[in-house]
Amino acid sequence: MRRFLVVIATLALSLMTLPVGAIAKNQEEAISDHCESIRNSLKMVQKNDAKARVHLGGRYETILNEFLMPLNVRLVENNLPSEELVKNQNEFADTKTIFVNDYIGYQQNLEELVGMDCKNEPAKFYEKLVKVRQKRKTMEQDVLKLRTLITNQINIVTGLRSKVK
Amino acid sequence: MTEEVAEKKKLHRGGRNLLLLGLGSVVIALITTSISLAVYHNSGDIYIDRSRPGFLPDEKEVEEEEELEDDYSFPKSGVLSADILEEYLEKLDIEVKAIDGYENPFSSSVLSDEKLGIPAATEEDS
Repeated sequence: MRRFLVVIATLALSLMTLPVGAIAKNQEEAISDHCESIRNSLKMVQKNDAKARVHLGGRYETILNEFLMPLNVRLVENNLPSEELVKNQNEFADTKTIFVNDYIGYQQNLEELVGMDCKNEPAKFYEKLVKVRQKRKTMEQDVLKLRTLITNQINIVTGLRSKVK
Repeated sequence: MTEEVAEKKKLHRGGRNLLLLGLGSVVIALITTSISLAVYHNSGDIYIDRSRPGFLPDEKEVEEEEELEDDYSFPKSGVLSADILEEYLEKLDIEVKAIDGYENPFSSSVLSDEKLGIPAATEEDS
């Protein structure tokens, strides 16, 4: 019983010492004071992200439709089907879809953040910023995964090249 | 006299119908535009639409895009040889280079406190 009470007290104490908001007073003031400049920076990020999304999305589309898929079709036609390449193609297609959907979620949150009143509600603004950062992190991981899958493709095809006459 | 009154009534009714037609058209246009905007927004197309104000590509960027255009497509049929796969890898490398041209896309650091001008939490506040 005593041990139980100690655990409860420790838990309660740790909860009380946790910061209520993830933002400090000086940060709150800085957000409020430089609200407009922060917002402008976010708008610039939004513009650059749109550029990256359009360009990368186009390249991924080309790689999938003009390289990955036709090669698998041709390999089947030549009685040389590659399980590895088919798996890589499927994974690439799935990750590309995830990339597209994650981008929508990320931009929705970023747009909400840009529209927030950071001057009068800096704590809420910061809370949202933390959420947008998490979404951006997911985007970063998607891009890295797609790049890894492209490298896989190159490695598999290079291996195949040495086997084909 | 009665003919004159009837004519006036007819004109009046015609004007009212015309007004109703105009209002109806405006209402229909508003509804269809709202639906289109909702679809445009919810599908996420709005976030990749670079014709939006503030999202237009720079002049230099458009020139670079034109230079990078390459309409290669690997043929789905035909024999496979080492030379063909070599060409495949060369063409794929063009795409890879274009992708790698973007250094750290969606990098986390862009939204860091430091980049946004938010100072680190001071000890007395945290």
